[in-house]
Amino acid sequence: MKKVSIDPITRLEGHGKIEIFLNDDGDVANTYFQVPELRGFEKFCEGRPVEELPRIVTRICGV
Amino acid sequence: MAKLKLALYWAGACGGCDVAVLDINEKILDVANLADIVFWPIALDFKYHHVEAMKDKAIDVCLFNGAIRSSEQEHLAKLLRAKSKVLVSFGSCACFGGIPALANLTTRAEIMERVYVEAPSNDNPGKTLPQTKTQVAEGELTLPELFESVLTLAQVVPVEYFVPGCPPTVDLILKVVNALATNSLPPVGAVIASNKTLCDECERKKEEKKITKIYRTHEIIPKPDKCLLEQGLLCMGPATRGGCGTLCVKVNIPCRGCFGPPAGVLDQGAKLVSAVASIYQTNGDEDIARMVNEVADPAGTFYRFGLSDSMLKKKRLQRR
Repeated sequence: MKKVSIDPITRLEGHGKIEIFLNDDGDVANTYFQVPELRGFEKFCEGRPVEELPRIVTRICGV
Repeated sequence: MAKLKLALYWAGACGGCDVAVLDINEKILDVANLADIVFWPIALDFKYHHVEAMKDKAIDVCLFNGAIRSSEQEHLAKLLRAKSKVLVSFGSCACFGGIPALANLTTRAEIMERVYVEAPSNDNPGKTLPQTKTQVAEGELTLPELFESVLTLAQVVPVEYFVPGCPPTVDLILKVVNALATNSLPPVGAVIASNKTLCDECERKKEEKKITKIYRTHEIIPKPDKCLLEQGLLCMGPATRGGCGTLCVKVNIPCRGCFGPPAGVLDQGAKLVSAVASIYQTNGDEDIARMVNEVADPAGTFYRFGLSDSMLKKKRLQRR
């Protein structure tokens, strides 16, 4: 099955790619959106003083 | 002069560095006169295969922001290194690990568990975790491997220059643009910022540095003209490179060290611990124990932006 990759997805914040699978007729059989990035704010914010979080979580997205 | 070929990339980052480049406002037109941008995911639709197809050293300057924590980011670092004559470590994440490097206080397994299993917004009863390879009906899907540790750019590939800051300020970015325009780049290895510490550049009144209590920022309203450290607030100023324009301390907020260690300082956190220890007034072990307890989050405060680049980090420099 033919695969068309859009990597990276551009003009947005963050990282993403799209994989499009084409069937034998050249029609789209299925499409997958993937996020190939993880930083782990959910975990590493634990244990940080609450008054410091405004200066940490602002770095989730700076756009 | 032929136009320069300029690339900008983000690895483990928030996009703030890219937006900081746009914050130079109308001066972006000078950049457009000076350089053709050949890769910039946030703003232009070039793909990875366009970069792969370039000849080696086809890019004159690459401003690379973001930390390295996955095989994809490592690949892009190596790819852009090969394709670039000058590779600039741009912003705190690329230079020191930045905020994403706080993940070095935990493990990859703990992050995966929290993000994909425990987090209350999840609906994942099968406890499915991302895999580097997944078979689907139509074929195979791949994801990059997440490293155990967050690395700086220079820990992965050689780098010509460092531009610190979270994000680098407009003044610094213009300094880089002007250096490119006039072909007057500093010696390789230079940090494009101030050679003084933040303390040296801070206009607050500094008197006698003696403190008897460390306060958290919500516990006091600091006087606007007196040294924050002298008022008992942990300020990274003595252990941080200047060049930011003292933005945070100007608005009564203590520095958290995003410009990294000053010249000659190996470990930013150790430098500040040493500074605090030398000004805290104690009469024995009890006071010392109290002082230690008053620091709410030592690792996350002293190494807020610099864990990857610190001595502490080196204990965990493994990728799997």
